[in-house]
Amino acid sequence: MNELVHGALYGTLIATAILSTIAMGIWFERKFAGRMQQRLGPTIVGPAGLLQPFADIIKLLQKEDIVPRDADRGLFDLAPILAVVCSLGVAAVIPFSPSIIASDLDVGVLWVLGIGGLMVIPTFAAGWGSNNKFALLGAMRAIAQSVSYGVPLVLAVLVPVVLSGSLSISGIVAWQAQHHWFAVWPIVPGLPAFVIFFLAMLAESNRIPFDIPEAESELVAGITTEYTGAKFTLFYMAEYVHTLVGSALGAALFFGGWDGPFAPGLHWMVLKTLTLFVLIYWVRWSLLRFRADQLMRLCWTWLTPIGVALLLVSAAWVTFGGTN
Amino acid sequence: MESIPFGLAALVTLFSALRVVRSPNLVHAALWLGLALLGTAALFAVLGASFLAGVQVLLYIGGVMTLTLVGIMITRRHDGLNVPAESIGHVRAGVVSVALFAVLAWAISATPGLDAAPLGPDATTQDIGHALVGTHVLAFEVVSMLLLAAMLGAIVIARRKDPAPHAVTHLHVPATAVREAAE
Repeated sequence: MNELVHGALYGTLIATAILSTIAMGIWFERKFAGRMQQRLGPTIVGPAGLLQPFADIIKLLQKEDIVPRDADRGLFDLAPILAVVCSLGVAAVIPFSPSIIASDLDVGVLWVLGIGGLMVIPTFAAGWGSNNKFALLGAMRAIAQSVSYGVPLVLAVLVPVVLSGSLSISGIVAWQAQHHWFAVWPIVPGLPAFVIFFLAMLAESNRIPFDIPEAESELVAGITTEYTGAKFTLFYMAEYVHTLVGSALGAALFFGGWDGPFAPGLHWMVLKTLTLFVLIYWVRWSLLRFRADQLMRLCWTWLTPIGVALLLVSAAWVTFGGTN
Repeated sequence: MESIPFGLAALVTLFSALRVVRSPNLVHAALWLGLALLGTAALFAVLGASFLAGVQVLLYIGGVMTLTLVGIMITRRHDGLNVPAESIGHVRAGVVSVALFAVLAWAISATPGLDAAPLGPDATTQDIGHALVGTHVLAFEVVSMLLLAAMLGAIVIARRKDPAPHAVTHLHVPATAVREAAE
């Protein structure tokens, strides 16, 4: 029972922290995008436009909730909620400091991959439930993309698992705190594995340059075409949560999580997570969208074979010499 | 204390399994199947087999379920994807189900040595890994050979005898028609 209380308490805390970070992340992204395009970004609402995300949220929530007449009502309503649940659920096993973790599962990596894989279901429910051809096409693209990129993602995540000999994320972080960060040493499976992880994560969360499922010039808005108001907000939020939690996961698996000198662990974890988060924005506002066939070629002819090779290298590293 | 979450998970699993076979809508049936599989994972988790629970979610929901959904999407016919959920022979189906359950239950209870499983309930993921590639490595490899054979079979079935790339016949347009159009 104690564990239940602990999980509920920390889970609520972490979820609240993530959602608040996202509100400010939206402000930051708009400012950042503005600067990159020689604009100012939001300036009117609050000092330096800081209250802009709140204005956005109030605006979105006020909008009319439209359900298409021939939509599958149950699936249509369920999809946005499931999307947020699945993307937030991953955060349950990520340690934000040695003690701040909602549930320290000994199969944390499996949990992350499993719950991350569940994202297919809300995508499908939204695409199918909307009864709209653009939504369905968007869902098909999104599912094909996330199933394909699931392979290099798993391969990249297995590298720290093999190197540390642990399936628990807090175990992997603790191992790195004791020895060295995987992105730094051994640099050959470590750093390329992080790059593959990063690309696969971008593709799984449908961010530019991999936002083909939402390609607004071809597909209106993909699976969110028919969504308005609060439900659209939930999808929007789920995408940001996915990105932020993915950054936290990358920081924990490859950059030692809460490990760092001088400051408390939480500070280091937040710093690393936000650095990766900003890196995603940087990529997003610098690059163009890939074509669907380019995306698939990148996945199957480059990332997957390299991922297999990296896994073999890390197994060899552990077997012959290495640091274990 | 442990029986409450177990009962809840079992209830959810049974209910959604029932919906899988009773739902007239193919898409709903597939999604209920997902919930049934998730409930099974929850049963594993409640019983302390967290590795099995994780693998269940990863393989069955992430793999089997996703493939089912993709299959439905790709083979989408026009509206009215309803399949009749009513069977003609309730009684016959019921008899067969009960008989199957009885046979399975009898087989499980009559198998000796189930209590003396190679790994106890406290087995960690590491123990499972050691057992899989240690004592049970032969079974492990045989299973992977089976999967490989299934994969090869699927490729053989799916591979069409593609015609030579140049064999695509062009539309034969009569030369006169071209000339007329040009004029």
